[in-house]
Amino acid sequence: MSVTNVGGEKRIFLRKASGLIRTASETDTFIYNLGVVSIGLGVGSMLFYGPAFYPQGNLVWGCIIAGVAMAMISLGFITWTVTLPRSGGIYVFGSRILPPALALTMSLVEITAWLFYCAIAAYWIVTLALAPMFSGLSLLTGNETFLAISKTMLEPWATFLIGAAILLISQVVLSYGMRFYLTLNKWVFVLAMASTILLIITLAVSTREQFVTNLNTLVGPSLGVSDAYNAIIASGKEKGWGEPGFDLWQTILVSNWPFLPLIGAAFSIAIGGEIKSVRRSQTIGMLGAVFTATLAFVITVWLAYRVFGFEFLGTAVFNTLSGAGGLTTPTDPSIALLTGILTQSPLITVLTSLGLALWMWMWIPAMHTFGVRAIVAWSFDRVAPAQLATISEKYHTPIVAITVTTIVNLIFMALFVFTPWFSKIVILIEAAVLAWSVVLAAGIFFPYLRPQLYEKSPLAGKKIFGLPIMTVACFLGFIAAQFYFWTLFFDPNAAGHEPTQVAIVAGVFVLGLVFYYVMKMIRRAQGVDVTLAFKEIPIE
Amino acid sequence: MFWRKKDKGANAEVKIFFASDLHGSNVCFKKFVNSAQFYGADVLVLGGDLTGKAVIPIAEQEDGTFAAFQHGEAVRINDKTELDEFIKRQGNIGFYPAVMSEAEFQQLRTDEESQSTLFKKLVLERVHEWAAFAAEKLKGCGVPLLAIPGNDDFHEIDEILTQAARVEFHEMQVCDFKGGYQMLYCGGSTPTPWDTEREYTEEQYVARFAELIPQVNDMSRCIFNVHVPPFGTVLDTCPKLDSNLQVVYEMGLPVQVHAGCKALVDVIKEHQPLLGLHGHVHEGRAKINIGSTICINPGSVYPEGILQGAMITLSDGKVTQANLMQG
Repeated sequence: MSVTNVGGEKRIFLRKASGLIRTASETDTFIYNLGVVSIGLGVGSMLFYGPAFYPQGNLVWGCIIAGVAMAMISLGFITWTVTLPRSGGIYVFGSRILPPALALTMSLVEITAWLFYCAIAAYWIVTLALAPMFSGLSLLTGNETFLAISKTMLEPWATFLIGAAILLISQVVLSYGMRFYLTLNKWVFVLAMASTILLIITLAVSTREQFVTNLNTLVGPSLGVSDAYNAIIASGKEKGWGEPGFDLWQTILVSNWPFLPLIGAAFSIAIGGEIKSVRRSQTIGMLGAVFTATLAFVITVWLAYRVFGFEFLGTAVFNTLSGAGGLTTPTDPSIALLTGILTQSPLITVLTSLGLALWMWMWIPAMHTFGVRAIVAWSFDRVAPAQLATISEKYHTPIVAITVTTIVNLIFMALFVFTPWFSKIVILIEAAVLAWSVVLAAGIFFPYLRPQLYEKSPLAGKKIFGLPIMTVACFLGFIAAQFYFWTLFFDPNAAGHEPTQVAIVAGVFVLGLVFYYVMKMIRRAQGVDVTLAFKEIPIE
Repeated sequence: MFWRKKDKGANAEVKIFFASDLHGSNVCFKKFVNSAQFYGADVLVLGGDLTGKAVIPIAEQEDGTFAAFQHGEAVRINDKTELDEFIKRQGNIGFYPAVMSEAEFQQLRTDEESQSTLFKKLVLERVHEWAAFAAEKLKGCGVPLLAIPGNDDFHEIDEILTQAARVEFHEMQVCDFKGGYQMLYCGGSTPTPWDTEREYTEEQYVARFAELIPQVNDMSRCIFNVHVPPFGTVLDTCPKLDSNLQVVYEMGLPVQVHAGCKALVDVIKEHQPLLGLHGHVHEGRAKINIGSTICINPGSVYPEGILQGAMITLSDGKVTQANLMQG
């Protein structure tokens, strides 16, 4: 079938009849995705880890590489979600083509990673936003109480309790319903965006000389040096921070850091069933979020390098994290702290820090929701206990699934704060990217293996080089996802492949398979064949 | 004998497959009928809204090609093979393709009455086709197809379905059901923004239930097959529309409203039937409890060719399984 699109008049006679109303527009989809990308969090983490661990990596090019790769992944997911426009993420896609055990496992791996990232975001709100804010206020006002608060916040128990409180707020927000969450989300987005614009303007109107002078004035005395700026750089080089330069491999590796937040640009696959004009909205929503976030990353990184200096950013963080005893700022030299020092303004320090915190917060309910929807979908398919889909009569929300995922979040938070090994398994992102690549690989063959479903897609009949557009787009997405799986695999700073960590990731895959087969046995004992949930009813 | 033969009487296990709101989708209706064998159902229950919403004129051009509309875009169909594929595809997503000349199309586009006549003709043809398909597929398997009308269904379909083999079409009736149960049939809906075929006010629903309830022998063994879902639940939540049928937004978010029936909630709370089967609100896919009554809306995504339904097992006067399905 290859009818030709010719444009022109709308030849359709409609009658008045009731039906499904999709509500999310392209703007809603764009904001949803951009919120999950979390520009502030991306900027904060890449400026923190990038120059410190990849002195020969070009972060600007890294952002562009990550942006192109994420656009390719988005293209693949756009074709999936246009073909199957329902909420539930990769579980919806995978369950239509993959073996049931594999579809559930991919979904479980994915939501394990996202729930883990809820805990990370809560952890970073404390360590990269709130603690540096109080530390900055102490520097600017000379009030030691602020410094004490900052240090107390970084004590494991305090970090855990504050992080747990943040995760519980997510539980409350989601329990009140999507409408409440989305209303809150829009306000948070506006405030977070405003803080980012404030940061960009602040950096744009500032100079390196201002920063150096202010840093020397504020931090110099506590370090016992008059030129703290250059002393920190010299100390870092002496303690082992690498020589700056350009290296392609390090540039590829540093691109992991912008790639990690950019993953959020495709999160609207989780709400596909609620999006109207799905092809247009998902295309604008995903690709728009990739482009906007990448542009914001590039501009902010360039400005930050210009004002703070690449070598200073690298050595200050390196000295903080290496444990080699090099000179550095009183608390972690996050972008929030450095901006406070630059402006010497308590107000801008607070606004920048809270903006960062708001960006990080946006990750939490979004990823939490992702997990909740997947669990409810499993329950509907009877591969998870029916109670998980229980709806609150009062709030009409899946209260049991929300609570279960909150408990998982809290466990991850505790492991993250109190154990040395769990805090390093950012590697879980590798597992999620691998799960994505499997579903994107399945999309390459979907038009051929499920022609009855694909023929109802608005994309049916559209071809590139004689191949179905979904095949081509998912191939590009698969290549990009595989590229980042291996890039993360070989990057010990962003993820890596340390045996214990790999074992944990493998354990999540095994857990998914075990979970499926246990549920299958239980359901069989109840007289239910769960495999039927994944099969298409024949029509002839 | 040291074992008991399976009770085929009042306490026998009964498996019901329920779906609703197929809206003209050929592929979904075929899946629905075939679900009897696929899921091993004893009874198929259809919750109304069989009829679709759009006619797709396929206008033959002077050069032998055809002009039509698909997925929001005008398309050109080049030959007979493409034409057959296009017609099949439109039928599968619930539309009614109609091949005509360009002159006929130009005449029809300005004549709403002729459009309505064409619409009804095509709808009734498809209901006939479906009835024939069900009769053939369900022949000899002992599985009945029980149906009610939805708010979108033309009244003319009643006669076709009433006369169809293997189909038991009921409206405003309480009838005996397999396994010693009863089913209460009540179609239509409360008023909608679209002003559809079969709408009733809350007062009318109060009167309708007052007529039906006394016919129920035992509420604990009665299944409500009521197209409209109970009001104020997750089964009937959908976006609010204005008089132009546009979604109403507040602070950038769609306003959510309940589109169900208050009288039905009152009846369920008071009488506590065994089970409530509902449709109408496609977004309201869920299973809930109102007191001890399990109420299900399987939702509908018929344009995707995916059949959403619910598989329910009754045994000993209880709902032992109630699972949402999609196939």
